[in-house]
Amino acid sequence: MPTGREVVDEVQRARDAAEERRLVAAAVDGSAPAFEALYRRHAARIHALCLRMTGHVATAEDCTQEAFIQAWRHLPRFETRSTFGTWLHRIAVNTVLQQARRRHETLGAADSAEREVADVMADHSAADPARGRDLEAAIASLPPGARHVLVLVGVYGHSHEEAAEMLGVAVGTCKAQLHRARALLGARLEGRETHHDGH
Amino acid sequence: MTDIDRREGDDPRLDAELRELPRAIAPGRDLWPGIAARLEPRESSAARRRPAWLWQAAAAVLLVAGSSLLTATLVDRDRGEGNMAAAPRTTTSAPAPRTTDVMAMPAAFGPGARLDADYVAARRQLTAMLEARMANLPESTRAKLQVNLAEMRRAADQINAALAEQPGDPLLEELLLMTYQDELAVLANVNQLTTALASAAEPAAGDAKRMQL
Repeated sequence: MPTGREVVDEVQRARDAAEERRLVAAAVDGSAPAFEALYRRHAARIHALCLRMTGHVATAEDCTQEAFIQAWRHLPRFETRSTFGTWLHRIAVNTVLQQARRRHETLGAADSAEREVADVMADHSAADPARGRDLEAAIASLPPGARHVLVLVGVYGHSHEEAAEMLGVAVGTCKAQLHRARALLGARLEGRETHHDGH
Repeated sequence: MTDIDRREGDDPRLDAELRELPRAIAPGRDLWPGIAARLEPRESSAARRRPAWLWQAAAAVLLVAGSSLLTATLVDRDRGEGNMAAAPRTTTSAPAPRTTDVMAMPAAFGPGARLDADYVAARRQLTAMLEARMANLPESTRAKLQVNLAEMRRAADQINAALAEQPGDPLLEELLLMTYQDELAVLANVNQLTTALASAAEPAAGDAKRMQL
């Protein structure tokens, strides 16, 4: 038997979903105000994804903007088989990958960028801001391929198949990258803990 | 399970921490103005999704309506000239419905975005009555009218099919109404023609009787 709170939450979710469908339909029809409302709903989620995947604050903002512009452009072809949020998430992943290709990104984020991302992320970590900051900085410091897989599979819970499809790599590559990312992450976190303890 | 799969769950603490990271982090500045400045305006979905054949259908309706009117006018004129030469008109049948009456017939669109049941029934009745009268027309005129009517009905079917996919599309509804009105206008012309033919034939029959007497 659902509790009163669960019923209220369920009704709220249904209302949100209905409102989102209405906004999407209006945006498909060319309504910029409806699209702005969709931006307000999803900007923080898309920005968090871009921030973690790029490991760079300014690039993440560029990718967030570009993802919404691409979404507006392709909205008439949006099929309601998936939710708008899921669809937008995929567009954002593509945008980050395109951006990375354009910049010929081959190395992890620079130290200063790592700290910048970690600072932005730490403000949003509820439980342990110091641990959250270390974790985010360690993720930002990973090589791009390993970072992308870790973010999609480890943070966002995608399967290897889904992540491999989004990233355009083989499933085996995806698994190997995750293994590499976890090993690097463990080592870096251990190093940071040792560093903190030393102080 | 591969070695890599097995190793994924080796550090449950790390896994849990990764999953608990915040999923939403607002950008440090409002990105909307930059997005809004780059949004390309686009036409509404109704106009965008309207298939090309629809415009062809609309063009066909106009062409067919125009040619039907021309056919009817020419036949009527020829018949009128013939009547004037033969005998004065004495109309004995019921007055034909004027085109303007047909055009003023009420139409409504139901939830399926089709003409409502009353309108469809009235149209069917009128169509059956007028088609029966077409039998009295010269064969070449009848053939032309039948081709034109078939074209119009095909267009109406296509518009109805499009309306089923896009219920409530105002342009489609208007186009469908125009198509039905054009069809009825052609049929009303048939009625005028057959009435004219009948009235032309009656005095001639009366003359023959008088000759016999």
